[in-house]
Amino acid sequence: MKRSWIIAPAVVAAAMLGVATSSVAAERTVKIAGFGAKSGVVRSFGVNTEAVMRAAADHINKGGGVKLGDGATGKIEVTFDDDRCNAEEGISVLRRIAGTDAVVAVGPTCSNVAEPLFGILQKKVGDAGDSGVQMPIFTDTAIKGGLAKISDWAFRNVPNESEMYQKLFAWIKAEHGELKTVYGGVEEDFAHSRFTWHKVMKVRAPEAGFEVVGESKWLLNDTNFATQVREMKKAKADIVAISAHPFTTCGVLKEMQRQRVKPKLLVGLTSSSSLETLQGCAKQAEGIIIPTSFAPVTPAAKVAADLSAEKGGSADLHSAAAWEIMMVLKGVIETSGVTAKPDTVQDDRRKIRDGLAALKETEGLLGTIQRTAEGEAIKPYVYVHAKGGSWAVLHDPGS
Amino acid sequence: MEFIDIVLSISDGVLFGTTYALIGIGFTMIFGVMHKINLAYAATSIGGAYVSWAISTLVPLPAILVFLISAIAAGVIGWLVYLCCFRLVPLDTPLTTLLATVGMLIFIDEVVVHETDGMPQPYPAIFDDVFFEFGEFGLRGDLLFIFVLSFAAMLVLLYLLYRTRLGIATRAVAQQPMAAQLCGISIERTNASTFVITGMLGGLAGAMIGASVGVLSPLLTLPVTVKGLIVTVIGGLGSIPGAIIAGLMVGAFENLFLALRGVTERDMYVMLLLFLFLTFRPGGLFHRSALRD
Amino acid sequence: MDFLLGLTQLIGVHTILGLSAYVVLLTGQVTIAQAGFFGIGAYIAAMLTTLAGWHIVPAMLVGASVAGVVACIVGFPALRVKGLMLVVATTAFGEFVRLFWFNFDYQIAKGEIMVGPEGGEGFKQIRYFPENGWTTGDVALFIWVILIAIMLALWWMDRSRAGAVLRAVGEDELAAQSVGINLTATKVTAFAVGGFIAGIGGGIYAHYTTHIEHANFSVLLATFAIAYPILGGLTNVTGTLFAVVFIQGILVEGLRFMGDWRNLLFGALIVVAMNVRPRGLIDERVVMIVGRAFSTRKGRADA
Repeated sequence: MKRSWIIAPAVVAAAMLGVATSSVAAERTVKIAGFGAKSGVVRSFGVNTEAVMRAAADHINKGGGVKLGDGATGKIEVTFDDDRCNAEEGISVLRRIAGTDAVVAVGPTCSNVAEPLFGILQKKVGDAGDSGVQMPIFTDTAIKGGLAKISDWAFRNVPNESEMYQKLFAWIKAEHGELKTVYGGVEEDFAHSRFTWHKVMKVRAPEAGFEVVGESKWLLNDTNFATQVREMKKAKADIVAISAHPFTTCGVLKEMQRQRVKPKLLVGLTSSSSLETLQGCAKQAEGIIIPTSFAPVTPAAKVAADLSAEKGGSADLHSAAAWEIMMVLKGVIETSGVTAKPDTVQDDRRKIRDGLAALKETEGLLGTIQRTAEGEAIKPYVYVHAKGGSWAVLHDPGS
Repeated sequence: MEFIDIVLSISDGVLFGTTYALIGIGFTMIFGVMHKINLAYAATSIGGAYVSWAISTLVPLPAILVFLISAIAAGVIGWLVYLCCFRLVPLDTPLTTLLATVGMLIFIDEVVVHETDGMPQPYPAIFDDVFFEFGEFGLRGDLLFIFVLSFAAMLVLLYLLYRTRLGIATRAVAQQPMAAQLCGISIERTNASTFVITGMLGGLAGAMIGASVGVLSPLLTLPVTVKGLIVTVIGGLGSIPGAIIAGLMVGAFENLFLALRGVTERDMYVMLLLFLFLTFRPGGLFHRSALRD
Repeated sequence: MDFLLGLTQLIGVHTILGLSAYVVLLTGQVTIAQAGFFGIGAYIAAMLTTLAGWHIVPAMLVGASVAGVVACIVGFPALRVKGLMLVVATTAFGEFVRLFWFNFDYQIAKGEIMVGPEGGEGFKQIRYFPENGWTTGDVALFIWVILIAIMLALWWMDRSRAGAVLRAVGEDELAAQSVGINLTATKVTAFAVGGFIAGIGGGIYAHYTTHIEHANFSVLLATFAIAYPILGGLTNVTGTLFAVVFIQGILVEGLRFMGDWRNLLFGALIVVAMNVRPRGLIDERVVMIVGRAFSTRKGRADA
């Protein structure tokens, strides 16, 4: 008993220091630190992102690695930490990463972690009076709108929902001129879904000529939707737009079936275009249309999806962004003269930040991605719909 | 807001409240026998439902059998909870068992997350396509089934408690552990059997919750725990009929506030009402053990 | 280094949260409302620094005072109930506070952006520390000065008559009452002090995470608030600190090398810890052994 008291802290201390004292590698390695939720209900985000990052790193290394600023070649090494989708733990993880020789961080998966995390970064680059952390972060999953502008060090490669839903509603108007009204359903206490309904769908639908006739709200872990669906039934809207994650999306769809609410068209939240929705309620979700920035429709996208599956994760609209991020980072590392030596870590980070900030467009899995001055992306996307238990591409606005 | 809407909301709430009632019965029984809170109880219930789901993905089974497996699995988990959190811990430290069960709750939840990646899983249901309609008024068949089931469960429990040797032992231990021991009743065996029985009831409740929602998710555990505790105290600690009535009431009030004030304020009013209720009627509806803790 | 300092901050804040529950637990009351008071302190302090431009110290004191007053007001009705009833009553109150912030909107324009709490979207850009050039080390030092002050105050209180009164109420209410202790006054005071301390912790929390939202102050955080002192043991204030180090330092950060097993071990090790040390990490026996070790050393020095 007593001995364990001496051993336990020693083990911990060793484990903590272990990160800092990495052995000297024979070959130069470029470390990219991924992090995200691998615990709790959103574990699948972290699992997928990690698998995609590792698959992308293998893919790059097999192709000869990256060319460094002084002519040497480097191999990419990926680490991945769990932040439990918790703000404090995310901050801890970022500080831990900042203490290693990782040149760039990829993550987090949760918007409620991303927001405080970007807050502790230096706001304006080069501002000596700002003691924030100086570490470039490139986000793949946390999707809540407009976060990258919090700091000059934050970049994101997430779909621009505002643009996607604008085009989606316009397309629906053009295809189905007879549809007039939209009714919204929103998961009110989840940052992302709430934002997407109130600030995206509800704004974009009237612009396309639809009339929003009402909205129902529920909470993330609600299980009974009878009252909300009754409101929905009364509105008799042509289109029902549901801004919610798979768990409650399925609950609402099942209740709609029960109360025989059959809108002419269903629109869903980007995040619900994943396996989870189909696993939970394929039958009820049949026909739901969702804009998504990933579908294995191009050869590059198929390769990414296959390699990621080999690593035990699925490339979906969130995690596929991590593949694109890895490819973009390879390019930035090569063009900005990163040397990946132990004594140039801070310089390398600054070079990568500046390189990312200078990008105007990047190559994505579905086509060219535009980058904004705020560090956000405008990604190409397709409309998918649930059909016979899987997601099928309905329309490609880019073609 | 028309009158019929409010009636419909409340009737939906009452029916959905039966799942709260089932969980409340388990909490209240453990409390009645051991005077301890088992915060891992809702996790046990959902855990049982997950085990049955896992088995049903391997072999296709009729829904009734899946529910039965859930009950058995949760009985086993309940016994494990007893072993890990109560058996070895001194009985005079209530805070210790409280925290141990919190650890257990987190553990069970994380095992589920680990196995499913936290993704919602479809759970079979019976009578879920039955929907009774009387003009504008409608009732869900599956919830009516749960309603009947929870009354059946209550009757079985009351029979067990008042008509069997096990029940006599359980009540003896609940009332006077020392005297019960002197009469040759094994306190440990009685406590363990309480956990197994309530665990089985919980497994049934977990299955019913899964069936009524249609999917299982680790998201269910925390709200079900909180609702279960609320139902237990409103009903009056240790009172099984109290738990049932309280479950229905919580469901009704929840839906009433939802219909009147919207979802963002719903829980705020429910919590305020609960706080006031406990302040003015600290013993719960069925005032049996007001000043015992 | 930055990471360890950051972890030190986190441990400091969580210890303050744990100590707020410690005071209440001494009187034998289990409260799940601490996250609510923590949230009150966080929102008010953050609003004062970001919206009114106050210095952080008065902002935190105001936030903590409001939390203390609310705790006092809640204390009176809540203490009519005991045991499990109190657990649920305080849960209800804590959730009520959280949902209040969920529905609370108050934003003003500051430059080109709107700042202030925005209901379910949360309250962002609480950047007092980085904007004023506080380094991670400065913040850690700030937190620990406050923490040590609180610990010393509680330590002193523990050894004074006040501590004896609190513990007497916690051990046996009837006996305490029979020697003339005013139960209500004692419990309400403990509640108010607990609320004040939680408010201080919340004030720091809001600033070192830079973004707060209602979900941060959930039942889960409240459960941790009581878990720290229970796991640490109620013998003295150091137990809570050890428990926070155990949970945040070892279970959360120290076990990272275990990969996916870390999540599973988290709950399991809490169960194991409670079985092995049912009266907390720092129980009376440990205190006695440590105390004896110190006294013999002193004895030798004297000789």
